[in-house]
Amino acid sequence: MKAQTLRALESERVISFYPGCSLTSSAREMMESYLEVASFFGLRVQTLEDWNCCGSTPAHSIRGWWGLVLPARNLLLAESRGIEELMTLCPSCFVRLWDSREKLLADEQKNKRIQDLWGATVRGYTRPVFFLESLLSVASEKVETLAPGSFRGLRIAPYYGCLLSRQRWVTGLDGHSPRKALGDLLRRLEAQDLKWGLEEQCCGAGLAVTKPELSHRLVASIHRYARRAGANCLVVFCPLCHMNLELRAPGQEALPVLYVTELLAIAAGLPHAQHWLGRHLVDPKPLLNQLRIA
Amino acid sequence: MNREFQEQVAGKGDNSFASCFHCLSCGAGCPAIELMDWRPNQVIRMIQRGMKKEVLESRTIWICIGCFNCLDQCPNRVDIPSLMDTLRHMAIEEGVRVPEPGILAFHKEFLRQVSNRGRVFEVGLMMRYKLATRSFFQDMGTGVRMMLKGRFQLTPGRVENPREFKEKLGGSS
Repeated sequence: MKAQTLRALESERVISFYPGCSLTSSAREMMESYLEVASFFGLRVQTLEDWNCCGSTPAHSIRGWWGLVLPARNLLLAESRGIEELMTLCPSCFVRLWDSREKLLADEQKNKRIQDLWGATVRGYTRPVFFLESLLSVASEKVETLAPGSFRGLRIAPYYGCLLSRQRWVTGLDGHSPRKALGDLLRRLEAQDLKWGLEEQCCGAGLAVTKPELSHRLVASIHRYARRAGANCLVVFCPLCHMNLELRAPGQEALPVLYVTELLAIAAGLPHAQHWLGRHLVDPKPLLNQLRIA
Repeated sequence: MNREFQEQVAGKGDNSFASCFHCLSCGAGCPAIELMDWRPNQVIRMIQRGMKKEVLESRTIWICIGCFNCLDQCPNRVDIPSLMDTLRHMAIEEGVRVPEPGILAFHKEFLRQVSNRGRVFEVGLMMRYKLATRSFFQDMGTGVRMMLKGRFQLTPGRVENPREFKEKLGGSS
């Protein structure tokens, strides 16, 4: 009884959410599918009001101070609202928030300058967290709500990309622990979870606009390796990877690229899946229709 | 040997590049190495040799994509991505020739967007970057496809008070 009450409380937990810029635009499929899946699983998601861009690569690259200042404002907004965990869908936003927090907590003088600018120092009350762990844990808890065997025939090459593949002390991200949970979940749905060789290779998204020839080459090998290992789709965990893997996909050889959140939405039979799938540049519908998945 | 540059770089950040023993792990796993003129460990050696101009004018410091593979693999935990940040900042301060003007233009336009609205408007970013680098036709087809697929947000998002945000941010460097 007690355990049940606890579980009920747990499932009504509010998740505070930092969207980040690409999630509101080119990666809307990821955000929308996340929000629907989260609500299907009984998670309440609240967007951080008045959030600003984390500064991404450009800030720390050419204006080091802004690389700390921009994420810090979001941390302060969250701290002032008593938010302990601030969830991101984008690994890059996560790393910027984590990095700024670490550096400011270690440097009193810089933190004092943050106070002069935004009105408070970063106290460290708010911690950034990445969505994957909490989503997979609730998904495996409620796995009976997903149709077992519904992914029969789907041969997935999970693509973790750069930031989720590092040791934790490098980026603050633990991209390794959720892999087992994901594997278990996929097995339950009877999808194949392939080992294919380039799951941890960087896709070159950071230079996708300025050095397209580099990302063309990196992305082409990602699709080719996955195909060679027998995959019929790639599954990604990052809005920048998704954009790049579709945008620079090698014509005829291109595999459909699905967000892990879309995959869960399909497994849950959520009605909007068709809508997101229609916005992909590499159309996943022929594959899914052929396998009678969506 | 001229130690001035080495000390200048070390003083700018938390970089412990002195412990590099040139095992070449950093370059071996680097996804962007083919576009670099010097390998990351070579840049470290050049800093130690006082080759300021060559380092600050190198492509390598602009090409580094920040994937952290080098730091992850380094047996001495030399924070090469941060070192590259430091060197880029120095290159800008010193006003040296930037061999990758497109990359710098992209970063600048991105930050201009951030400072104006507090958020990035992807369509505006791409259009202004294309104007700045006169590369209108590169990727135009894919851009149009994404637009037709409804993949872009067509009105820019912003913080609640962009003017105040811009004033505060702009006054802080």
